[in-house]
Amino acid sequence: MSPGPPPARAGDSAALVLTVKEGGPETVAFLAGPLNVNTEAEAWRPLDEFLSRRPAGTPRLTLDLTGLTALDLNGSAQIIAALEAAEKSGRQAAAAGLPPRFETIFRLAREAMTKPLAPAPPRVHFLEEVGRAAAELVRDFRALTFFLGELTAEFFRLAARPWRFNWRSVAEAAERSGVNAVPIVALVSFLVGLIIAFQAAMITKLFGAEIYVATLVGVSVVRELGPLIAAIVLAGRSGSAFSAELGAMRVAEEIDALTTMGFSPVRELALPRVLAQMLTAPGVSLIACFVGMFGGSLVLLGLGYTAVTYWSMAVEKVTLYSFLIGFFKAFVFGFTVGAVGCQRGLAAGDGPDAVGRATTSGVVTNIIVIAVLDSIFAVGFYVAGI
Amino acid sequence: MSPASDRPGPLESAPPLEVDGLAVAYGGAPPILENINFTIGAGEIFGILGGSGSGKSSLLRHLIGLVPPRSGRISLFGRDIWAEGGRRLNECRRLFGMMYQSGALFGSLTLLENVALPLREFTRLSPGSVLAAARLKLALVGLSGFEHHRPAHISGGMRKRAAIARAMALEPGLIFLDEPSAGLDPITSAGLDRLIVTLARNLGIAFGMVTHELGSIMSIIDRAIILDRASRGIVAEGSPAELARRTEPPLVAAFFNRRPE
Ligand SMILES: Nc1ncnc2c1ncn2[C@@H]1O[C@H](COP(=O)(O)OP(=O)(O)O)[C@@H](O)[C@H]1O
Ligand SMILES: [Mg+2]
Repeated sequence: MSPGPPPARAGDSAALVLTVKEGGPETVAFLAGPLNVNTEAEAWRPLDEFLSRRPAGTPRLTLDLTGLTALDLNGSAQIIAALEAAEKSGRQAAAAGLPPRFETIFRLAREAMTKPLAPAPPRVHFLEEVGRAAAELVRDFRALTFFLGELTAEFFRLAARPWRFNWRSVAEAAERSGVNAVPIVALVSFLVGLIIAFQAAMITKLFGAEIYVATLVGVSVVRELGPLIAAIVLAGRSGSAFSAELGAMRVAEEIDALTTMGFSPVRELALPRVLAQMLTAPGVSLIACFVGMFGGSLVLLGLGYTAVTYWSMAVEKVTLYSFLIGFFKAFVFGFTVGAVGCQRGLAAGDGPDAVGRATTSGVVTNIIVIAVLDSIFAVGFYVAGI
Repeated sequence: MSPASDRPGPLESAPPLEVDGLAVAYGGAPPILENINFTIGAGEIFGILGGSGSGKSSLLRHLIGLVPPRSGRISLFGRDIWAEGGRRLNECRRLFGMMYQSGALFGSLTLLENVALPLREFTRLSPGSVLAAARLKLALVGLSGFEHHRPAHISGGMRKRAAIARAMALEPGLIFLDEPSAGLDPITSAGLDRLIVTLARNLGIAFGMVTHELGSIMSIIDRAIILDRASRGIVAEGSPAELARRTEPPLVAAFFNRRPE
């Protein structure tokens, strides 16, 4: 092979010339020049065109190779494929006049290419794809349920003998998945607090009731938005990391190795991460609440109220209950973010896109679960009158 | 035909690989190998031998232009690969094929697409010809019938063979192999050896291969160098039969007699 066709070669005399001489039942294609990796599609076209026409009867095609000046494996493959195509279209085909110095290479190619190309796998029908997706959804749900069962069993085992557990791994996971998430959670909740306060102030100003913006921000952030922001950011930042970590371990057969050594992957890998997320999520949510309320305070300060007025109004309607509800929600969200993230990682398939798919699936499932749980909480607490 | 025969002009007679005073080093660290000199001739099966960590893979990474050398010259078919500050490197990269230790097939593509990729990118062959060429390369390594499989769904030995097929895609006159038979069963490994010999003897393709397989070394390698970590260089060079007879230096004797040093 030479390093790509240099510009000077493209048009010079050292290019393949292929001429097809049709003569009724006997067609001869003359090949002159080099037939190799540098041969251009253009040179081969007359033969392709001839072969694409349906013949009448069983005419003969002869490839006259006398004029070949170079031949490599690729060129041999081209000749063999052309002979095959000719025979498939009902012609009798043969090559003739191969210069002796190319015999070895041509025989090598010919002997290798006895088997035809395997047929490409059929494309999947749309309906089949929908069916498969539905079946997969069911399978995913079952797998998640089994995993939750296993995880619960591990929780009880842990509660029975808490000293026989690697707490250091929980601390490490807590730092990576909780503590390090604080800046981004703070940024998002600051902006949300600021925006809510600003929008609300625009309207309440009409009645001269701007000060109630503080109450609004306080209640909604503590009970609803703090835990929700924390959960969604943790799902995108830490749950996804769990899926990717465990998915990569699955692909590298590390999960299998743990299992065969008698370790439970759920206990060794999932439990510390889920615990870490459960323990840190309420704290992260708490920070989100304060930063959100701080964001809201900037709007009221801008409108001329003092910080003392703002904060006293903000916490006025925040009862111990709503505070505990927010705390509880964050705790539950922490659990689902950790559990779903880990389950998706452990259940990763194989193949090059396995980790990516596990991660995407983990984040999407988490956001759906968070949305559903949050609605259930809202309805439940309303009915319970809390 | 030798694949080198339609190489234009004065380069025709240049050997596939010439290494001249090469120093192998990473970053500012002291060199792993110094003053390496050797040549691989057309159609020659050349072995790069040495203990684990002696720098075989590192040497290979330098030969294929992945790492610029601290000093020295590497020429492929008479072209200095780092000439003009590396601007000719891409041109040189098409002169050789490389099989990585892990195979390094693209997981999102089928075997056929893996082999066809360089042909599609770097030649002006028609789609039909690309298909025929890729199919032949896979057939040569015994993978007929597996064209539409993905790398994740075939065995390690098959992945190695597919990687050789991809290395052969552009009809290079020189192919580098990093431990082609490591982890293969003896039968597959012998099949691979036979393929290499066929390609070298019949097509004049030169091979530079890193290997530990004493069986392969004795049966197919024409000439080899042995690298040593302690002396940071080549401790012996010659045909395997010659090397196996040597008693000095002790490393060479130990290597061929499978003795611990
Ligand atoms: N990317 C790298 N950066 C720095 N040092 C490296 C790198 N790769 C390998 N080395 C060092 O080079 C030495 C030789 O490694 P390697 O070439 O892989 O040996 P071999 O393939 O012969 O087993 C080792 O000591 C290794 O630590
Ligand atoms: Mg190595």
